Amino acid sequence: MKRLATLILALAMILSLAVPAMAAEGSDLNVMVETPVESLDPQIATDGTSFEVIAGYTDGLTQMDAEGGAIPAIAESWDISDDGTVYTFHLRDAQWSNGDPVTAADFVFGWQRAVDPANASEYSYMLSDIGQVVNAAEIIAGEKDVSELGVKAVDDKTLEVTLNVPVSYFLSLMYFPTYYPVNQAFYESVGDTFGTSPETVLSNGAFILDSYEPAATAFHMTKNPDYYNADSVQISGVNYQVIQDSQQALMSYQTGALDTTLVNGEQVEQVKDDPAFLTVGAGYLWYVSPNIKGVEALANLNVRMALTYAINRVDITEGVLMDGSIPTYTAVPLQFATGPDGSDFSGDQSKYADYCADDTDKAAEYWAAGLEELGIDSLELDMIVDADDAPQKVAQVLKSQWETALPGLTVNLTIEPKKQRVEDMQNGDFELGLTRWGPDYADPMTYLGMWVTDNSNNYGFWSNEEYDAIIDECTTGDLCTDAEGRWARLYDAEELVMADAVIFPLYTQANAEMISPSVTGIEHHPCALNRVFKNVVKEG
Amino acid sequence: MAKKQPVLAAAETAYVPTDADFVLKNADDALMLDTNFASQSFWKDVLVRFFRKKSAVLGLALIIIITLMSIVGPGMNAYTYDGQQLTQKNLAPRVQGLENYGIFDGSETMHTTSGNKTVNNYIEKDLTDVYYWFGSDNFGRDIWTRTWSGARVSLIIAAAAALIDMIIGMSYGLISGYFGGRVDMVMQRFLEIMNGIPRLVIVTLLLLVLEPGMLTIIFALMLTEWVGMSRIARAEMLKLKEQEFVLASRTLGAGKFFIIFREVLPNIIGPIITQVMFSIPTAIFTEAFLSFVGLGIPVPRCSLGSLISEGFNAFTTHPYQIIPPVIAMALLMFSFNLVADGLREALDPKMKEM
Amino acid sequence: MKKYTLKRLFTSLFTLLAILLVLFILMQLMPGSPFNDEKLNDDQRAALYAKYGLDQPVLVQFFRYVSNMLRGDYGVSYNISKNTPISQLIQTRLPTSIYIGGAAVALGAVMGLILGLIAALKHDTFWDTLATVISVIGVSVPSYVFALALSYALGFRLQWFPMLYNTQLATQSSVLPSIALSMFTMASIARFTRTEMLEVLDSDYMLLAESKGVSGPALIFRHALRNALIPIITVLAPLIVDLMTGSLVVEKIFAIPGVGSLLVNAIQSNDYNVVISLSFIYSAMYIGIMLVVDILYGVIDPRIRLAKEGD
Repeated sequence: MKRLATLILALAMILSLAVPAMAAEGSDLNVMVETPVESLDPQIATDGTSFEVIAGYTDGLTQMDAEGGAIPAIAESWDISDDGTVYTFHLRDAQWSNGDPVTAADFVFGWQRAVDPANASEYSYMLSDIGQVVNAAEIIAGEKDVSELGVKAVDDKTLEVTLNVPVSYFLSLMYFPTYYPVNQAFYESVGDTFGTSPETVLSNGAFILDSYEPAATAFHMTKNPDYYNADSVQISGVNYQVIQDSQQALMSYQTGALDTTLVNGEQVEQVKDDPAFLTVGAGYLWYVSPNIKGVEALANLNVRMALTYAINRVDITEGVLMDGSIPTYTAVPLQFATGPDGSDFSGDQSKYADYCADDTDKAAEYWAAGLEELGIDSLELDMIVDADDAPQKVAQVLKSQWETALPGLTVNLTIEPKKQRVEDMQNGDFELGLTRWGPDYADPMTYLGMWVTDNSNNYGFWSNEEYDAIIDECTTGDLCTDAEGRWARLYDAEELVMADAVIFPLYTQANAEMISPSVTGIEHHPCALNRVFKNVVKEG
Repeated sequence: MAKKQPVLAAAETAYVPTDADFVLKNADDALMLDTNFASQSFWKDVLVRFFRKKSAVLGLALIIIITLMSIVGPGMNAYTYDGQQLTQKNLAPRVQGLENYGIFDGSETMHTTSGNKTVNNYIEKDLTDVYYWFGSDNFGRDIWTRTWSGARVSLIIAAAAALIDMIIGMSYGLISGYFGGRVDMVMQRFLEIMNGIPRLVIVTLLLLVLEPGMLTIIFALMLTEWVGMSRIARAEMLKLKEQEFVLASRTLGAGKFFIIFREVLPNIIGPIITQVMFSIPTAIFTEAFLSFVGLGIPVPRCSLGSLISEGFNAFTTHPYQIIPPVIAMALLMFSFNLVADGLREALDPKMKEM
Repeated sequence: MKKYTLKRLFTSLFTLLAILLVLFILMQLMPGSPFNDEKLNDDQRAALYAKYGLDQPVLVQFFRYVSNMLRGDYGVSYNISKNTPISQLIQTRLPTSIYIGGAAVALGAVMGLILGLIAALKHDTFWDTLATVISVIGVSVPSYVFALALSYALGFRLQWFPMLYNTQLATQSSVLPSIALSMFTMASIARFTRTEMLEVLDSDYMLLAESKGVSGPALIFRHALRNALIPIITVLAPLIVDLMTGSLVVEKIFAIPGVGSLLVNAIQSNDYNVVISLSFIYSAMYIGIMLVVDILYGVIDPRIRLAKEGD
């Protein structure tokens, strides 16, 4: 009996220990992320979580303001040559967390790593195709040496960048992690282990990574006392918790263990009346890509038109996703690219109503015409879909909408892990594919660049000379410097895509989130860095 | 688990008298057989013992009911398993008649972050004539219909997987056990290698390589199950192969495979059937796990496992969505276990006195 | 006995090597590639293949891998944590999985034994049925449902235990995942204990012991349970390996940095080295435990030892 009493006492002690564990620590910001960090190497990382964390402890030449514009960071100021091809950045006195000063040479080294073919950096095209840095493309192709890259350290505090052609959004590329500096001496001292632990990364930013294991489910960044702008950082650190199950995440938020969390569409009903609930544009465009070249029925424009008209996008976003995603009828999604006049590139969603709308009657007309042209009365199509929650839901609704609106159509869903789906689509080994694309930078070109002939992400193998010419004109041609003219031509290009039903746009993804009322100043962006925490204020 | 083999069955099936055999004169009188006992065949005996056990009968009844429901259930109302009604999604269970007693009337309590509230969406959406007996899911599909068609898919998958793994595992084990020596050594090493590789790796790989669908899942489940079966078959074979009736058959010139499959197999059918009964619930369960990983039956088709993993996402918002498939699955597993236990005890003469 | 042990040890090593080769071949059969991200071009893909030696023939890769492995180098991850050495990736994850899995095995085995004993001693009574029902519920409710229900009730409503795994509070935050994981073990052990105990209780030597005046707990524990234990250990052994090498489901729900979710992610993203290393660890543990169990049998039960020496 005595033993039993001891056991109960021990259990009670464990329980009493467990309770205080729930309280939040200090004034760290507790944030939830869905996926773990894949890489802390700024030139190798590709995923949103990694970018967010790397940017948390590293500053580039510029940083994002709340609206996504570029404001000075390590570069205090800059000069742009009259023809717009030479940028001279003047660096401030900042230092790495090992005490070394941040110099122009660190940027040169980082950028050279990005284009070095030996590193095979997935985002190297940010320097070549997008940034148009002199010789970047040639170096990536292995034709020139990395030392010939169009960036040089004039002195310790002056960095000069030469571009092939003027790039209107070049300054906003500077906050993209691929363009971040790497301290060469430190990199060489840690060798191959660079970016795998807190000891093998250096910080020059608002925070210092102080606890991290590879692919950890929880890690921590603490405020950097030597940050050049340390006074403006109000929180003591950021506490990351990777949670894959959304219900656990919401419950953790409710107990106060998290200050902000993502909410699944199904839980929106639970939180929609809460003032802490908000939806944030995520920039991703979800769309269906038909294999135009490889499938005879889909080469028929009437069939493609029928398929895109038969979709009820409002039912998808409001009926199933419920996370604030916006029905989209354009090839470029909403709320990420702002034009010279300050308006959203895709603000007007009815401009291609002649090519894309929710209209089952029109769908039926196109369908009848298409079937007649093909000389068939029924059609079976296969759609490949990622094995994740949201795509499977959307695909089931699409199947049902298509089969209801288009008599004789059968759609089979094939569920695959994302990696395999991407490979199948790139090899043209599919009929319909449900896919998504996130913007890399705040310009419509991040989407429109995809549908040029032979682009690896032009899954439908669509090809149009006029389209290719417009895109060429807008990237390297005459329109580089003419912002308004370029904008107008981009609309022309988009119209070609829509008129040919190259893709069936579905919706612009939004994330449903909870942010505790005691926290203000979390900045959300649809591209580059999804969340920025340096200006966060947390009360109590 | 090695079980005692049924000795009675051996004598019964190993020797079948035919016209060609000589006939004993006045056999009954001369041998003074206990007619009461002898007239009762072994299987009849098993049946009697089985039905004497209440829990086993209950299990059998449940299996029959669920199987019947999985055949007729989906047809009992006008809904189909994949028919979507997005305007009628997430409706709580509502049943004609019962609704007047304050249960199954379509109202549900939502635990929101800003307090609890009770709503009846049938009334709010003016759906007076609409009834979803088990409620409707996120797409406005009828959970009643989906539960029973899911049960059908699960049962087919599990039964097929169990039967195939029985055939393969049994043959493998019997052959390995009978030949022994070098053959046994090689076959057992192979088994060890198969077993040493995590199942998940083999199954996921298989599901990635083959077209996803019911056949692939059956095949994948079979691969994970046959090892256990072959172990039992081998152990039984090792026990039986030195016995007199096998020896007799061998001296009479019977072929090896004749001995394995015609002489020994009938004698170990008891433990084998028991193992099949145990492996059916395991297969149902493994399928549920595959659904959770996203490698289950492709949407919009459903199994109990995929229904549970769908309902799982609404666990805290609409708990009624996960309850029917969980209960159906639990009942199935429960009854298969009861039947298996009952069978094992009925087949084991030693345990019958207890 | 020594000869037998040596022989078993040798065949186990051979089996392990064979498993490694099979794993390599399986990786080749895997559709997709670790480097098919949307934004990589063909040249970069080829460069990555060359960098990691994946453009070599399978056998070359195999022998290089084995020779690296003998020097403690298990390669690097391609996707999950890019360029991180596998040893670094799993050095904290494996102990976490073993810790939680071990707790689950212990809990499940003890609970299962108790339930099984009750069921056997009170055979065909209400207690027997109750124990059966409890153990069947344990195997019939999927562990993720069970895990979330536990988390909701004990973590969220009552706030007794943390809902998410926390390395600073490893003990408290392991409670819920361990319970969730132990259900299956508990149920299997309960079932086997019941069957074995029924058999043992019915045996002649129990009758003998009883007639010699042994009674009460001594009879049950010293004579009956001891004999029932051997088959129970046989059932428990593979379960130990399964639990200690992590459970995807429970890890996902409780955000545990274990090896189960790592393996699944690695399979789905073609992270070959991670798949091979984790599978190999699993195989080694499995074969190791089987070996130990096999040798233990001989030690425990002289009959088995004699039979083996006859081989």
